[in-house]
Amino acid sequence: MGLALMLATAALGASSTSDLLPPERAFPFTARALGPQTVEARFNVADGYYLYRDKIRFQVEPASAGLVASELPAGKVKHDEFFGNVATYRGVLRVDLAFKSVAPGQRIVIKAESQGCADAGICYPPLVQTATVTLPAGTVIPEDPAKKSWFN
Amino acid sequence: MATRRTKVFVSLAGIFALALGLWTGSKFGESPKDGATLLAISLPDVAGREQALSQWRGKVLVVNFWATWCEPCRDEIPEFVRLQRTYGDKGMQFVGIAVDEPAKVGTFVKEIGLNYPALIGGMGAIELSKTLGNSLSALPFTIIVDRQGFIVHTQLGVLKPAQLQGFIDKLL
Repeated sequence: MGLALMLATAALGASSTSDLLPPERAFPFTARALGPQTVEARFNVADGYYLYRDKIRFQVEPASAGLVASELPAGKVKHDEFFGNVATYRGVLRVDLAFKSVAPGQRIVIKAESQGCADAGICYPPLVQTATVTLPAGTVIPEDPAKKSWFN
Repeated sequence: MATRRTKVFVSLAGIFALALGLWTGSKFGESPKDGATLLAISLPDVAGREQALSQWRGKVLVVNFWATWCEPCRDEIPEFVRLQRTYGDKGMQFVGIAVDEPAKVGTFVKEIGLNYPALIGGMGAIELSKTLGNSLSALPFTIIVDRQGFIVHTQLGVLKPAQLQGFIDKLL
């Protein structure tokens, strides 16, 4: 009986915080080039976690690449007693980032700041993640693969 | 030969006992840790006055790392306020360490009628909490210290009222 109680206590203890993810795994950030002057920034928010819209910031290095202010999706509005209505994201968040003065083949570093919480009842401080992107070398528009043929 | 067998048995029994001790120690009721590092902390309060945690040595101290930007943190604070009111004169002391800006903390303190000290730790307090066992650097993170200055419990995530009451009954 005593042992059963002890084992039950151990099982309860194990389910508390050991399942929670570190922020880099709860909100992993990636980026990829979409075109000569655009990059897709992406957060893959893990199930049971969410990000705050107004806490997301992007920066680029070098700053001379000229990041154009990007519009974030509206997100889902959540009422917060202290801050009023706040928008949040779950699942995949994609943001297209545009750059004013980049050269073909240039490598740029995207710094993404985010902040979020877990439904389990914890919140993380702001997290900065980086992703390096190499922009396409040429300005050639990719061909439609359906039209590609050895005889053209 | 018999002596050797006895020695082997004693050694195995010792290893088993040690392993069981470590296992039970980590799973059921943490083994108390010296809270000297925690009690050596000194931080400014909302009014900018430096407050040393050592001033509450001898009390059952509940140190709660929180922030206004952390909704679960704000959700559990009214319960802390209630317990501070009920058990404050019986030797219990709550202390909040805010991973936040003084102005935001000040607004919240007034709004909720916080009846225990709110110390301002800023973002540096996250690192501080990490050294005290906050492995995920997340909030809320709460540490319970007994009257002898030993850390008897650390909690990442909200403390359930029944859980807190259990510590109160045991430690006060």
